[in-house]
Amino acid sequence: MTLTLLDELLLFSGATLLVALFIGRGLAAGWMVTILYGGQLLTLLKMAALGYGGGIIASSLSFTVMGQNLSWRFDALSWFFALITLGSALLSSWFACGAWERSYAKQGGNIWLFHLAMALNVLSMLILLASGDLLSLFIGWELVSWAGFLLMALAGGVATQAAMRYITYAMAGGMAIFGGLALVYSSSGSLQLDAVLIAVESMSTTKLWLLVILFGGGFGVKMGLLPFHLWQAPAYAETPGPGSAFLGAISSRMGLFAILLVLVKLFGIVNIDSLKIPFTLIDARDLLAWIAVFTIIFPTFTAMKQNDARHLLAWHGIGQGGYMLLGVVVADAMGGAGGLLHVFNHATYQAALFMAVTAVIHRTGTADLNKLGGLVVRMPLSFMVLLIGIIGLAGLPPMNGFVSKWLVYRSLLNEGMPLLFLAAVIGTLGTILSVYKLIHNIFLGQLRVEHEQVKEAPWSMMAPMLILAAIIFITGLFPGIPLAWVASVQEVVGLPATDYTLGGVESVSGSLDMIWVIGVLFAGFGIGAVIFYSAGRSKRVHQLDNYAGGHFLSADVRYQYSDNFYAGLMHLVGGWYRGSFLWLEKSVISLIDFLSLVMQGLYRRANAEFYLLSTALFVMAWVVI
Amino acid sequence: MNGALALTIALPLLGAFLLPVLMRVSVAFGVWIGPAILAYGCWILGDLWLTGSMQPFSVALGGFAPPLGINLYADTLALLFALAAQLLGLIFWPFKLDQDSARRQALMLLLVAASTGLALSGDLFNLYVFYELTAVATFGLVAASGTSAAYAATIRYLILSGIGSVLTLFGIALIYGQTGTLNLAHLAQLAPEQLSNELGLAAFLSLLIGIGVKAELFPVNTWVPEVYATASSRLSAFLAGLVSKLALLIILRLLLLVFHQPEAAQVILILGILGVVSGELAAWRAKEMRRMLAFSSIGQLGVLFIAMALPDGQGMLAVLALALHHLVIKSGLFMLADGWGGALQRLRGSAAASPLAAGLFVLFSLSLVGMPPLPGFWAKFTLITELAGQTEPLYLMGLTVFLLATVVEAAYLFRVAAIIYQSAPQERRPDEIPKAGGLSLATAGLFGAGLIATTLLIAPVGDRLQTIAAQAQDVDLYINTVFPATPGASQ
Amino acid sequence: MAPLELLLELTLMPLVAFLVGMMMVLMMRRIAARIQRRVGPPLFQPLYDIVKLHSKQTQVSHGLIHDIGIVMAMGGYIAAETLLPVPGMNGIAEKGGIITLLYLMMIPSLGLALGVGQCANPNGSIGIARALTAMLAYDIPLVIVIFGVAYAAGTTNLVDIIAQQQAGGFATWGAVQMPLLAVAGLIAMHASLGKQPFEIYIAPAEIATGPMVEMSGKHLGGLFVMQCFQLYTISVLYVSLFLGGGSTWFDFLLKSFLVLAIPASIAYLFPRYRTEDLLRLMWKWPVMLGLIGVAFVL
Repeated sequence: MTLTLLDELLLFSGATLLVALFIGRGLAAGWMVTILYGGQLLTLLKMAALGYGGGIIASSLSFTVMGQNLSWRFDALSWFFALITLGSALLSSWFACGAWERSYAKQGGNIWLFHLAMALNVLSMLILLASGDLLSLFIGWELVSWAGFLLMALAGGVATQAAMRYITYAMAGGMAIFGGLALVYSSSGSLQLDAVLIAVESMSTTKLWLLVILFGGGFGVKMGLLPFHLWQAPAYAETPGPGSAFLGAISSRMGLFAILLVLVKLFGIVNIDSLKIPFTLIDARDLLAWIAVFTIIFPTFTAMKQNDARHLLAWHGIGQGGYMLLGVVVADAMGGAGGLLHVFNHATYQAALFMAVTAVIHRTGTADLNKLGGLVVRMPLSFMVLLIGIIGLAGLPPMNGFVSKWLVYRSLLNEGMPLLFLAAVIGTLGTILSVYKLIHNIFLGQLRVEHEQVKEAPWSMMAPMLILAAIIFITGLFPGIPLAWVASVQEVVGLPATDYTLGGVESVSGSLDMIWVIGVLFAGFGIGAVIFYSAGRSKRVHQLDNYAGGHFLSADVRYQYSDNFYAGLMHLVGGWYRGSFLWLEKSVISLIDFLSLVMQGLYRRANAEFYLLSTALFVMAWVVI
Repeated sequence: MNGALALTIALPLLGAFLLPVLMRVSVAFGVWIGPAILAYGCWILGDLWLTGSMQPFSVALGGFAPPLGINLYADTLALLFALAAQLLGLIFWPFKLDQDSARRQALMLLLVAASTGLALSGDLFNLYVFYELTAVATFGLVAASGTSAAYAATIRYLILSGIGSVLTLFGIALIYGQTGTLNLAHLAQLAPEQLSNELGLAAFLSLLIGIGVKAELFPVNTWVPEVYATASSRLSAFLAGLVSKLALLIILRLLLLVFHQPEAAQVILILGILGVVSGELAAWRAKEMRRMLAFSSIGQLGVLFIAMALPDGQGMLAVLALALHHLVIKSGLFMLADGWGGALQRLRGSAAASPLAAGLFVLFSLSLVGMPPLPGFWAKFTLITELAGQTEPLYLMGLTVFLLATVVEAAYLFRVAAIIYQSAPQERRPDEIPKAGGLSLATAGLFGAGLIATTLLIAPVGDRLQTIAAQAQDVDLYINTVFPATPGASQ
Repeated sequence: MAPLELLLELTLMPLVAFLVGMMMVLMMRRIAARIQRRVGPPLFQPLYDIVKLHSKQTQVSHGLIHDIGIVMAMGGYIAAETLLPVPGMNGIAEKGGIITLLYLMMIPSLGLALGVGQCANPNGSIGIARALTAMLAYDIPLVIVIFGVAYAAGTTNLVDIIAQQQAGGFATWGAVQMPLLAVAGLIAMHASLGKQPFEIYIAPAEIATGPMVEMSGKHLGGLFVMQCFQLYTISVLYVSLFLGGGSTWFDFLLKSFLVLAIPASIAYLFPRYRTEDLLRLMWKWPVMLGLIGVAFVL
C-alpha cells in the first residue's frame, strides 16, 4: 500500500498530536510542535495542485461500519480551508513558544494541555476537511466541536463557563445535523455524496425545507450565526491568547466549510432558492442572506460596546462571518469569491489582531480598554501590526479585507439588493468605529504611569505577528494569489468562478486593480510626506504638555477618553438592542429548569403505586374503548 | 455441552442456598464458592458462544418436550445476556467481609441465577418465576445496606414491584385462558389467530406495565432514583446495567413473538418518549451524582423503548446496540460514583486527586452523548436512521425528543465534568476531596478499556451485532428451534 | 495609454484638485463673509495660510504617529483624486471604481484619527469619536445614493457613469433621472463636509475644536490642504454622479462651484446639532428619500 499525500498529512498531524501528548512536558516541546505544524504545512503545499483546480486526492483510509462506508479525501475546497487551518496553527503555535509559554506556565497554566489541545484541534479539523461522505463529515464535525471545547475550557474559571455554554450550543447544533443526516439517509439510503446528490433532486419541498433548517442551523451554530451566536465571543476571548488567535482565525469557519459542502454543493443554491416562504416574497436563500446581514450588524454593534479587547475582537469575528455567508449565498461569481476570500483574509487579520492584543496582555497584564493607553511609544511594532490588522478588519484599502468586502458589495450591487448592500456597509462602518476605539484605547492617548517601563513584545511573539501583517498587506496588494485558490473552490462547489487578475478582478461592470490603487495611495502618502516634511523640523513635546483648559497636567492626572467611547451614538442606538438574544437564551434555560423541577417532583412523590394503578387503568380503558 | 446450559442457572441457585451453611463451616472456603460458581458459569457460556455454530438451540428441562415441559431457549442474544449476567455478577461480586457477607453473597448468587434465567427462559411462567426471584434478591440486597433511607426505598420498591407482579400474573392468566399454553414458541404459533385481538392487547399491556417496573418504564419507575441513590454502587450498577435490560429483553421477545398489534408498539413509543423527557429533564437539576445517573438511566431506558417500538423488529439492532452500550457505560459510571457521593459541588478538585477517574468519567460521558467514533455514536446512529425512515409522525417526534434530550444530557454531564476539573477550593484540606479509587476505580477502568477496545474494533463488533439482531428477529427460526418436528422445518 | 501620459495625468489630477480646492475654500469663506456682512479674505488667502502654517518657527509634534496621521490625511485624498475623472483625464478611475473611491476617502479620516489619538488630549479623542459617529450618520444615505446610481448605470466605473449622463444631454443627467437620490445625496454631502449645522466634532465651545485641539504649524497646515482636497472631492463626486460630470473645464468647474455653494449658503444660517440629533436626522430623511429613489431605479 502506498501512502497518498493526504495519508501523509493526516499521519503527520497524528504524529504531532502524539508528540504533544507524550513529550509535550519537555523543555522545547512548543518549538517541536511548531516545527511539526510547519511540516504539515509543507505536506499540504505538496498538494498545491488541488488549489489550482487539480482534482481529488483520496486517502487510502476507509472503513465500513454497519453497512456505512466512510472515506476521506481532499479537493480544492478542503485544501483551501486546510491551508488556512495549518497556517494559523503554525503561526499561533509559534507565537506561543518561548516567552508566552513561560509566563503562561508561571501563572499556573498547563502548557502541555494547551499544546495538546491545539494539536487535537488541528487534527480534527483536517479530518473534518477531508470528509468524503456525510457520515465522516459528521464524525469530523463532532471531533472538531469537542476538541474546541478542550481548548476553550482549559483556562478554567470564566473560560470553562464559556466553554460549557459553547458545548451546549454545539451539541444542539450537532444533534440538528444528526437529525438531518437521518432524514437524508431515509430518502437516499446512503450517505455517500453522489447518492445524496441524486436523492436531493426528487426530494419534497417540505423535506428540503426541513433539511435546510436542520443543516443550516446546525452548521450555523459553529459559525455563530444569529440567533446562535451568544456562545462565541466569550468562548473565544477567554481562551489563552494564541489559542484565541487560532480559534478566531479558523474554528468557526468550519461551519462555513460544512455549509459550502452540504447546502451549496449537495443541495445547490438553485434548490434552496426555490424554497418559498408562504405568504411572503422571500425564499430560503433570502432568509439565509438576511440572517447573514443581521449576523453582520448586531454583533458588530455589540463589539463596539465591549471594554475588553479580546471580547471586542471575538464579537467582530462573529460579524465578519456574516460577510462570508452573505457572499456565498448571493452566489454569483463575485459574491462567492468575496465570501470565500474573506475566509482567508479574516483568518490573517483576526489572528494578527488577537496576537497583538495578547502581546499587550503579555507586557501589561490587562486587556481592559479602560486601563491601557499610549502604548504606541513603548510597543511600536505591535501597534503597527494592530493597525494593519484593524485596517484589514474594517475593510479599508490597502489591506486584504477590502478586496473581499469589495467583491461582496459588488455582487450585491450587480444583483440589485439595496437593503442587503446597505446592511453590509453599515456593518463596515460600525467596524471602523469599533476598531478605532480598540487602537485608540490601547495604543493612543495618554500613556499610564505604570506602563512607562513597558517593553516591546519579545521576538518569539513579534515574528509571527509581522509575518501575518506582511501576508495581510501582500494579499491586499496581489489579491490574485488567494483568488486563484478561491476560483478553484468555486468550481468544486458548483458556483460560477470569478475572472481574476493578479491585482483584483476584471469585469465589464467595473474592475478592481489593487496594484494600481495601492500604488497611487502610497504615491499620495509620499507626496503628503514631502509636503509635510518640507516644513521646518518639529519639536517633540511630552504628552503632558497638552491643552487642558488652562490647567497644568501632571503624571497622576488621568487625561484620557476611553469609557463609553461613542456616547452620542449609544445615546441613540443603545436602547435599540437590550440583549433580546440573552433574554431568549435565559428563557429557554428557565423553561428547562422549570420542567426539570416538575419532573423531579413527579419522581419524588411517594405514592408510586398510584401511578402504576392509574396507568394500568388508563391503558385498560384505552384498550376497551 | 448444550445440557450444561441449565447448570448456569442451577449452580448459582444451589450455591445461594448452601452458602450460608458453608460460610458457617469455613469462611475461607465459603468466600470462594460464589466467584467459582460464577466463573464456571462464564466458562460454560463462553464455551457455548465460541464453539457453537451460532445456531440457536433449545434445552428441554427434565426431559419433557415443550410445550408441555419447560424449556430454555438459547440464541446468540440470550447467550449474550446470560453471559453478561454471570460476568457482571463476578465483576460486582460483594467481596466485602463482615457478619452480613454470607447473606449478601447468597442474595447476589440468587440475583445472578434469576437474571440468567430471565435471559434464557423460553416459557412465560418460568420467566415470571425468575422475575419474582430477581425482585426478592433485589429487596434483600438494597435493604442490606442498612440505612433508613435504604429501607424506605426498599419499601417503595417492594410495593411497586408487588403490584407489578400482580399485573404480570394477570396478563399471564389472560394469555393462558385464551390459548392454554405459556410456552413462548407455542404462543408465537398461536398468536396470529388467538391473540391479535383486544384481549391479547390487554394481556400485553398488563405484562408491559408489570415487567416495566423493572425495566424502568415510565411511569412505573418512581422507585429508581431512591433505590439507586441509596443502594450500594455495585448493586445499582448491576440493577441499572443488567436487570433493567433483561426486563426489557422479555418485553422485546413478547413483542416480537407474540404481540404484533401496532397499538402495542404505539403505547411503548409514547411511554418511551415520556420516559426520555422525564428522565433527562429530572437529571438536569439533580444535585447528586448517583441520583443524576439514576435519572439519566431512566432516560436511556426510554430511548430503548423508543427503539423497541419500531415496527416488525426493525429496531432490534438499535435496541441491542444501545442496551449493551448502556450496560457498559452505566455500570462504569456507577462505579465511579462510588467514590463521588454527596453533593456535586463537593467534587471540585477531584480531577486533580484522581485523574484516571476523571478521565474515565469524561470518556463515559462522551460515549453516552454519542460522540463519534465512540461506540455510543454508532448505537445512536442505528436508532436515528431507523426512526427517520418511519413515516408516522409519532416516530419523528420520538426522533426529535431523542435529539433534544441528548443536548440536555450533554449539558448536565459536562457540567459535572467541569466541576470535577475545577481547582479545589482553598479552604478545603486535600484529604477532604472525594477520591475515587480502589476496587471500584479498577472496575470502572475495566469498562473503560472495554469501551476503547470496542471503539477500535467497531467494524467487526457491528457486524456481529447485526447477525445477532437478525437471528433474534427471526420468529420462524425460534419456533422451528423449539419444535423441530414442526412440519416444513428441517433439523 | 502611454505610461508617460498616464503619469502626467496622475500628477496633474491632484494638482488641479489642490488648486480648485483652494478656490473652493476661498469661496466658502467669501460666502460666509457675505452672509455675516463682512468683506471676506482676498484671492490668495488660502495659499497664504498654507504657506504661513508650514513655515512657522515653532513646530510642535506629539510623536511619529501624530506626523504620519497628517501625511495619511493628505496622501489619502491625493490618491483619491486620481480615481475621480475630470474633463480629458481619467487617471486610474477605471481600475478602482466608485466603491474603491468611497473607501479611499475614509483613509484620510483614519489618518487624522490616528494623529489626533497620539496627541493624548481627550478633547481630540472626543472629537474623533464624534467625527466617526457623524461618518456613520451620513455614509448610510450616501451609500444608498451610490447604490442607486451605480445600479441604474449598471456599472461602478465612474467614467462610464459620466459618459452615460453626457450621452443624452441634460435629460439623461442623474439629477433629472433620479431626483430623489440627488436630493438625498445633497444632504449627505452637506453633512460629510462637516460644516454647520453638522460640525459636531469641531464644536469649539464644547471640546475646544476637537481634533484640532493639539494641531498647530505644519500639522494644521496639512489639515488645511486636506480640507481643500475634501471640498473638491465631494463636490466633483456629486457632479459626476448627478450633474453629468464636465464635458469642458468651464462646464465642470461651474457645476462644481455651484454644487458647493448650496451647502455653503445654508451652513452659516443654522446652529449646531447634537450628535444623536444628527444621527436621527440623517437616518430619517435622506435615507427615506434615498430608499424611495432606489425603489424607482430597481
